[in-house]
Amino acid sequence: MTDLSIPSSQSTPAVEGVWEQGLLRMEGDSYPENSFDFFSPVILWIEGFLTRTQRPLTLELRLIYMNTSSVKAMMDIFDMLEEAHREGRQVRVRWRYDPRNERVVEMAEDFREDCTFAFDIEADEADEARGAY
Amino acid sequence: MDHIDLYSLREQLSRHRILLCFNGPISQSLIEEIGNALKNYLQVEQIQPSAAMDVFGVYIELTQNIRQYALARGYGEHEAAATVSVARDELGHYIVQAGNLVEAEDGRALLARVADLAGRDKSELKALYKEQLRRPRETQAGVGAGLGLIDVARKAAQPLCASLTPVDEQRAFLSLRAVI
Repeated sequence: MTDLSIPSSQSTPAVEGVWEQGLLRMEGDSYPENSFDFFSPVILWIEGFLTRTQRPLTLELRLIYMNTSSVKAMMDIFDMLEEAHREGRQVRVRWRYDPRNERVVEMAEDFREDCTFAFDIEADEADEARGAY
Repeated sequence: MDHIDLYSLREQLSRHRILLCFNGPISQSLIEEIGNALKNYLQVEQIQPSAAMDVFGVYIELTQNIRQYALARGYGEHEAAATVSVARDELGHYIVQAGNLVEAEDGRALLARVADLAGRDKSELKALYKEQLRRPRETQAGVGAGLGLIDVARKAAQPLCASLTPVDEQRAFLSLRAVI
């Protein structure tokens, strides 16, 4: 019904929500001063999707560095997905990372520990060519 | 007014192998700009991406903590100042130090908190981190620097160090040091 598009900035990731496909992408670093403000529209979009449709929802993440307040906001998002999953909804997270940066895997695994829905953490070989961090 | 002896300042920075330092009022955009400079240094030095991200992450948490503290305490623009340095020691460890003026009482509470964290191993720190993450926002004291400090302790290669230098009756300068 409504798509979401937030361009990336120095300290915030690019966000793209495609309503028809039930797909939310987030990519980049996240360390805004006020993570609560930044993540509010994202949380509202997911909430809207989960209440107004019955379709599956997939989160495609390529988040790299996150400050602790972004981690907290992300945990709120995964809690919403977990609740939906327990109510029988089909939700899935795919977290892709640069294989040279194992810290991202550790962070993603920290999140996955608290989730029972499908949560894949996949090395992205294409990142080898790029130079991040 | 005395001239500032830039040469001796330079010598001191070099002797302590300081890559980057800053002193003054700090805003989110300045945190980002200095953070960019730091990222560039780390890229030039070609250290592991995960290690570079740890150094960057510690720098971000410590400086954002200082901003949050100043906001929570209602400090003016000039009091929301920070002293930050990033150095590299002979062994290749990065040392991030960040300091700010605090109410002496808050400073003492933080020293106790740092001492408590220093006595915990990585798995205890992880458990504490998760516990703090689950705490509702309202009950997280703005001056406690809870989650950020635990995150820094998790990333550090050695226990965190903190010191407090009295400035006047009420305030003290708090200095935090993390080795990565």
